[in-house]
Amino acid sequence: MTDRKKSLLGGVLGDNIVLSGLMVISPVIICGDTLKNAEALIYAFSAITFLSVLISSFVPKKLPYTAKVIIYALISALVYIPVKLAAREFYPESIERIGIYYPLLAVNSLIVFQTEAKFFRMKKGDMIISLLSCIVGFDIVMLLTGFTRELFAYGTINSRIVDVNTLIGGLSQPFGGFIFLGLMCGAYRFIRGLVSRNSNNDVRSDADVSDK
Amino acid sequence: MLKKARKERLVWLDIMITLLTLELMSYFYYGLRSVFLAGICVLTGFAAELVSVRLMKRKFTADDLTCTSDALILALMFPAVMDYHISVIAVLFAIIVAKNLFGGRLNMIFSPAAAAYVFVLTSWERQLLQYTEPHVKTGFFETPDNLVKSASYIFDHTGTFNHTDFEVLLGNFSGPAGAVSILLLAVAAVVLMMRRSISAGAFLGTVFGTGLFAVITPMVSSRADSLKYSLVTNMVLFSAVYIVSDVRIAPKRDYYAFFYGLFIGIISYILVLTGAKENAIVIVSVLFTPIALGFRHLEKQIDKAAQEHALAEAAAGTLDVTAAGEEAVSDD
Amino acid sequence: MFLINDLIALLAANLILSQALGTSTIFIAAGSRKNLIGTACVITVFTTIGAAAAYLIDLLIQPSIADLRLLFYTIVIGILYVALLASVYRFANKWFEELRRYIHVSAFNCAVMGTLFTINSRAAMDGTMFDLGGYVSAGLEAGIGFIIAALILTAAYKRLNSSKVPASFRGFPAMLVYLGIISMAVYSLK
Repeated sequence: MTDRKKSLLGGVLGDNIVLSGLMVISPVIICGDTLKNAEALIYAFSAITFLSVLISSFVPKKLPYTAKVIIYALISALVYIPVKLAAREFYPESIERIGIYYPLLAVNSLIVFQTEAKFFRMKKGDMIISLLSCIVGFDIVMLLTGFTRELFAYGTINSRIVDVNTLIGGLSQPFGGFIFLGLMCGAYRFIRGLVSRNSNNDVRSDADVSDK
Repeated sequence: MLKKARKERLVWLDIMITLLTLELMSYFYYGLRSVFLAGICVLTGFAAELVSVRLMKRKFTADDLTCTSDALILALMFPAVMDYHISVIAVLFAIIVAKNLFGGRLNMIFSPAAAAYVFVLTSWERQLLQYTEPHVKTGFFETPDNLVKSASYIFDHTGTFNHTDFEVLLGNFSGPAGAVSILLLAVAAVVLMMRRSISAGAFLGTVFGTGLFAVITPMVSSRADSLKYSLVTNMVLFSAVYIVSDVRIAPKRDYYAFFYGLFIGIISYILVLTGAKENAIVIVSVLFTPIALGFRHLEKQIDKAAQEHALAEAAAGTLDVTAAGEEAVSDD
Repeated sequence: MFLINDLIALLAANLILSQALGTSTIFIAAGSRKNLIGTACVITVFTTIGAAAAYLIDLLIQPSIADLRLLFYTIVIGILYVALLASVYRFANKWFEELRRYIHVSAFNCAVMGTLFTINSRAAMDGTMFDLGGYVSAGLEAGIGFIIAALILTAAYKRLNSSKVPASFRGFPAMLVYLGIISMAVYSLK
């Protein structure tokens, strides 16, 4: 994979915002205990983050840092309103499921800090691809977490009962979220370490072939 | 290096011997089921440790057998009729999550048995806190019936403890398989303290803290009874020996360890008194982990300062000798 | 004796241990004791003063425009952010370069915003809490809870980043599991 592709699509796996960047972890820990909650969070996060960052990209770069951060936060607070109204219309149960984490998604560090640090240094097209890959990365983590915790904590998948021998009630609690996410981060790092070692080997073997 | 490694193995051996005597008592009261449960826990612990150590690219040595003592401690904290699935998950949590994830025995943060007990308490409270009466033997795969609450639970909620002193000493009352044999626990405590296999300071602090508050703010009308029953119920003695006084976790200096144990004893007694929280001492020992780490850090700083001071003195002494030598030479 | 129970209640309502709010911030700050104390104190200032402002907003806001609550909270935090930077620049110029880092990190994060929303939802359930004193003390409590959680993490920070921890778990994953186990112990006391 070329460096450019890596930096644009890294948000999905290579540089996942939750597992690698440890951003937006509170909703994952607290609300990621069922698949339905995960779906509600995915909708809220994706809509708010994408629209907020896109609109914020038009804020003049020459403004002082403090002013820009406040404007980004205000933009996302404004974007939150139609997103919530749409949810109330088409997906009303999501609001109660997520509770206070709905508005908190509007001040997630991806919008407030990563915009300045990463997205706004890219061209518009690249920014959108990178942003989408970060959002997809979060969505994947959210789905995995929601699915696994629901399965082993409640013995259900999307509220449908499945036959699980032993349920671990603690997985549905915040501490279960902490421990599960910690284990997931560790596993992710381990796999990433293996993959990067293997991709180094590939480069070496290509060189060997070309030397012939 | 070799002396330190031997000592760790000897500590493990001492602890295992005392745990096996408790297991023997558990067999006397609950039959082969409790032994089978202990066996499953120990084997699971051993397998988990073996795999973890290999994944960490280390060699499995005799020192790594401490996993078996952690597993056996956990088994003795369970009811003798505990579900095998739950026991296996608990042991895996203890060895992998609470211990090896942080670096194993070289970097201990939590007492593995205590952390796993709290994990089971939060996930399977009903199964954990229901017991069979002593002398009720259950088959290996039989579903136990006539489960009862522990004597500790009844004491916490009603203030009554309907067992004779003889029954208390021999552990003839409902409770965790290994935590009720009071006489054996007392003997184990004395032996382990004499052999320096547990922290004497932490053990004495825990007992003193619990006893002091049991007398000052008694749970029952008689202060003597309050003192007696506070020490024999709620796994206080068992935890004081095998969890609070664990030399891998407790502060090394006895006076720090005393205060560490003292506050654990006091706070757990208060939780039992005000909230009737069964086996609160195990939970409090997990919560006190940052304090134990803080004490250990303080001890390291003191040792480092003492070493630097000693080196400075030695250097100054060398300079004096050199100066005196030079003077002597010049005089000549 | 009841101080112990109050402490347990404080831990049980802790932002980080029971609601995972401000976890990313605490991980970043836990690297050095100075950063930790600085960030924790600034967050406490934001939560306490922010809670007072949130009380006024909640008093004025009608249920029909409840969706604008986030916008008003953001405006308040924004004003506080600028005011704090300006006061530090004016009265403590010597330490401005150092302190502004903490202020930048502490302003718009889940710990502060989450506190305001948590207090609001608690006040909605318990009418007796709906007064200025109740809001400010809840905000201060949240800040103190953050400091306690930060101290809990600092105690183990060196060990969690030690070379003895497996490389895959060294640092943040180990910190998450560590906080999870402490949180589990707090939960079991409820």
